[in-house]
Amino acid sequence: MISYIGKRMIAIIPIVFIATLVTFALIHISPVDPAEAYLTAAHIYPTPELLAQKRHEFGLDQPLLTQYAHTIQKIAKLDFGTSYLTNKPVWDEVKLRLPATAELAFWSMLLSVLVSIPLGILAAVYKNSWIDMVSRAISYFGASIPQFWLGYLLIFFFSVKLDWLPVEGRGSWENLVLPTITLSLILIAVYTRLLRSSVLEQLQETYVQYARTRGIRERVIMLKHVLKIAISPLITGMGMSMGKLLTGTIIVEQVFSWPGFGRYFVDAIFNRDIPVIQCYVFLAACLFIVCNLLVDLVQLVMDPRISAKGRAEH
Amino acid sequence: MSVQHRKSSALMLATMLLLLFVIVGCSNTGSGDESSSAASDQTSTKSITMSWPRDIGTMNPHTYNPSQLFAQSMLYEPLISYQKDGKLEPALAESWTISDDGKVYTFKLRQGVKFSDGTPFNAEIVKKNFDAVMKNKDTHSWLGIVGVLDKTEVVDDHTFRLTLTEPYYPVLQDLSVVRPFRFLGEAGFPDDGDTSQGIKEPVGTGPWMLAEYKQDEYAVFKRNPNYWGTAPKVDQITVKIIPDGETRVLAFEKGDLDLIYGEGMISLDAFQELRDNDEYVTQLSDPVGTRSLLLNSSNPKLSDVRVRMALQQGFNKQAMVEGVTSGLEEPADTVLSKNYPYTNVDLEPITYDVEKSKALLDEAGWKLPAGGTVREKDGQQLDFEMIFDKTDPIQKAMAETIQAEWSELGVKVNLTGLELTVQIKRLKANDFDLYFWYNYGAPYDPHSFINVVASPGFGISETLSALPMKKELDDQVHAALSSTDETKRQELYGSILKTLQEQSAIVPISYIKKTAVYQKKISNFIFPANRDENPFVGIELGNQ
Repeated sequence: MISYIGKRMIAIIPIVFIATLVTFALIHISPVDPAEAYLTAAHIYPTPELLAQKRHEFGLDQPLLTQYAHTIQKIAKLDFGTSYLTNKPVWDEVKLRLPATAELAFWSMLLSVLVSIPLGILAAVYKNSWIDMVSRAISYFGASIPQFWLGYLLIFFFSVKLDWLPVEGRGSWENLVLPTITLSLILIAVYTRLLRSSVLEQLQETYVQYARTRGIRERVIMLKHVLKIAISPLITGMGMSMGKLLTGTIIVEQVFSWPGFGRYFVDAIFNRDIPVIQCYVFLAACLFIVCNLLVDLVQLVMDPRISAKGRAEH
Repeated sequence: MSVQHRKSSALMLATMLLLLFVIVGCSNTGSGDESSSAASDQTSTKSITMSWPRDIGTMNPHTYNPSQLFAQSMLYEPLISYQKDGKLEPALAESWTISDDGKVYTFKLRQGVKFSDGTPFNAEIVKKNFDAVMKNKDTHSWLGIVGVLDKTEVVDDHTFRLTLTEPYYPVLQDLSVVRPFRFLGEAGFPDDGDTSQGIKEPVGTGPWMLAEYKQDEYAVFKRNPNYWGTAPKVDQITVKIIPDGETRVLAFEKGDLDLIYGEGMISLDAFQELRDNDEYVTQLSDPVGTRSLLLNSSNPKLSDVRVRMALQQGFNKQAMVEGVTSGLEEPADTVLSKNYPYTNVDLEPITYDVEKSKALLDEAGWKLPAGGTVREKDGQQLDFEMIFDKTDPIQKAMAETIQAEWSELGVKVNLTGLELTVQIKRLKANDFDLYFWYNYGAPYDPHSFINVVASPGFGISETLSALPMKKELDDQVHAALSSTDETKRQELYGSILKTLQEQSAIVPISYIKKTAVYQKKISNFIFPANRDENPFVGIELGNQ
């Protein structure tokens, strides 16, 4: 197992390398000169001298290869440089915002698991009953409504009309409720359907019929046998969405004025704040890989039929 | 699954959950208490809560983005303050004299002024601030005074002198802008005196001081107890950072915000809705800038004044502005509105007249071919590319309207939506036919406007490059900027504005206005004359 984890960790290096290369290339293909974008954002008129000075300061006057080598060198030392916009170390700024996004991601994930597991199972067991209908309605609604619109709707009803919860900001648990629901709904929609179909699939399996003929109670069959296997695709889904949640809560952060990582990144894109963009891509790549690894490990532990060796070769 | 396996899997899941709890728990410490203390303060003090889309920034008076102008102007004051209709009034300078040659400015500083930390404001600290700004001259070269400033001197404790290399009349206007020439107290200066790399703490002479700040979340400004002028009527201004316009409106409707003001803070639809609601008060400012359309005369098709004139006359400005902005912008007849100095000049408006437009295009040789819809001349079609900021709904709607109206004249317009930075880049590279452009507003105009008319690199001089009288126009601009004679200056401005009006290369569309929406408990809200300043000093709170 340890060698498997080790191998997977080493695999991070080429993936991150490719991610930074693609980002670097995209930034340089873009028609906007970061030095010019910086000056424009700062409301400073970009005279040719000033542009040259800024380009030199940012190292943009170096050959592309040197620039890239320099970037990689710095990232390897986990030095993400200084933000063009705020003049502060990027890592400090990220550290300030990442916890807010992590908080939101955590509660959204928890809520979606707590809702979708029972709902998915019940929808499968009582197929075509009212509870299945309800779960289907929630899924359609959750999957089709745009997140920003859902956010506004929730604010309108629960904050403005009913005055139960704050409109925006971060601080107390009350601030968490609406953004968490907004983020979870789509996850609940996906997880519930995933679990429902995978439970239904397992219920058709012969081992369930044998268990039934052996007189084992339905509840035991469900919890001890079916669920253990049926939950596997859900875990994969959770792993994928964990990465997405940590890096992609941009719209929800915007709507609820949540001072997180997503908002910071959007600003960075508009201002062509290259060090920030590079740091974001690096972190996003690492997060996705780590989440993936965690998923595989959990599945490995839960289902011993998947051997560590087999997985690693897979 | 064996017992062993079950145990290990349960253990692993528990560890993962615990880890997440620890991360989340650590990240959450304290923030709840802070915001609740800010909230409880509000009940005992006279407080106003407003919102702003971006964090207030570093509050350094000498640097730009990401610091927000309105916040900088709450803490830091100018020597001279810009008031309605361009009147210049004493602020930290009580009076000033200008030498006959227009090169030496001597300022008598107001006595008894203290910074918020109690240290005195005097000529020494004025010089220190000027020198800190001039140390990074390149950064500030966009401001005219920076290019001509030669020497700063402390004459005595309360007299400060500036010497210029050549006369430049808008010195006083330039000193009234929010950044960079405002004053940081001694305690704020870094050890090496170079404020461009950051300041130690925000200490100013202004009516407010920063009392509490959480980056990206909120900032609380309290009254400066050492303020020399009339103290603000409210004790505290809380600025909540809300990046989304719709959320801002919902927070206002819930009563979490007392005031929303600024340019483009909320959508025009939302403003309209709030205006129709009797529970709230809404206000529109005087024009703060003009939305114009540049017709690039360096394009051979647009170099003919008859074509430019035909295009200006060929769309219904009134209907378009009313339709697109719901009447929140005012149709503009002249490039600069008349609330700036020197701009109250009688100019003949160019009115909507489709028949005249068609006649002018015919006269210029652009004829509609039989059965065709686009005019032609020498085998070429009369077509243009109009570039606009694709994230700006007003520009997009206006571009589409103009495209439709001009197609009736036989003029084809291809629309290209661009990211703002790309749009600006193309303006500066003179790589456009038609472009939405805005002037700078007070206190920068009218001198900044005429400056870009004559100086290459900003896109405007290039737009005007094929005008037959361009050389003369440039000479007039230089004469106006360096003139020490008020009457002469007025004459020159009149002539420049008349030429531009007649040449129709900068087509005025509408005057942009700031909007304000506030709860009824607020009174005496007045928009600042300086586009970048804050309106908080005069605000009063009624009985609530």
